[in-house]
Amino acid sequence: MNPRAKIERFLDNASRSRLMVYACVLGLIGLVLMSWSLFDQGWIPVMMAMSVGQGIGTLSFALFLVIVIIDLRKAEFRPSITPMPPKPEDD
Amino acid sequence: MHVSPLSWIALTCAVVAAVIMIYYLIYRPPLNGRVKLLMMVAVGVLPIMTAMIGNLEGLQATEHQAFCGSCHTMDMHIADANDADSLSLAAIHSRTIKFGDKSCYVCHKDYGMFGYAMTKLGGMGHVYMFLSEFAWYDMEEALPKIHIARPFKNDNCMQCHSTTGRIWNGVADHNGLLEDLRTGTTSCASAGCHGYAHPFSKPDEETPSDAEAHSALSAPSPEGT
Repeated sequence: MNPRAKIERFLDNASRSRLMVYACVLGLIGLVLMSWSLFDQGWIPVMMAMSVGQGIGTLSFALFLVIVIIDLRKAEFRPSITPMPPKPEDD
Repeated sequence: MHVSPLSWIALTCAVVAAVIMIYYLIYRPPLNGRVKLLMMVAVGVLPIMTAMIGNLEGLQATEHQAFCGSCHTMDMHIADANDADSLSLAAIHSRTIKFGDKSCYVCHKDYGMFGYAMTKLGGMGHVYMFLSEFAWYDMEEALPKIHIARPFKNDNCMQCHSTTGRIWNGVADHNGLLEDLRTGTTSCASAGCHGYAHPFSKPDEETPSDAEAHSALSAPSPEGT
């Protein structure tokens, strides 16, 4: 199976609520790391916040975007203007 | 502990985001449009605000002595810089308002267009050296091994001591070595001149005489230099 097919299969089968749970857990970890550096400005908290913390936070937001993509793939787009009925041909 | 108003804003963003995420984890509401909008704020907007303010505060924190001194191998450097009785270059400069709490950064930063980025890259190199080697040494083992990565540039001294002032040029040694000092061939912070900035760390230390050090202390400002 090629990578594109794998991604499409994942997007078709993935559970949105589970992805959101992962996003929340990662987001909380990222926030803890980023907030730590606001109060303790030694090299470990500052570097952890600006590398690991932000990396985890970005992953969390990426998971949220995956949920949005899943929704967009399943959405049914309806035209906002109903098509005009065909005009009866002039006699 | 340094807590600025910006830090409180960042913390507020983080707390609000965390409350929304914990609410979701506990109650698991269906992901309809309204919940998704709320989660976008919790997972995206608020953490991005926290990260941006965190970056700003973090980068500012890297300019303070407390950050440099958070590695144990810098304990003696910081202690000497803040020693009111020390006559080392680091201590003399740290006592002035221009350097003060940021004396490590002001002296060691690179100047110029890419100075800030290059200084930060150099700092990453220090982190690598600390993690790969110096973190495992105690102070006695580390001190003889600590050395500046590249020779200290006279350009950094010349940010204040322009080498054009009357008082500065009145010193015979300065006049004789003018070109060497400007090109960096002879270092201001060398044993034969003003001594090392951190003389306690040098086995063959040669510091300026008390008279020289006191004359540096009594100089009103570097403007005439």
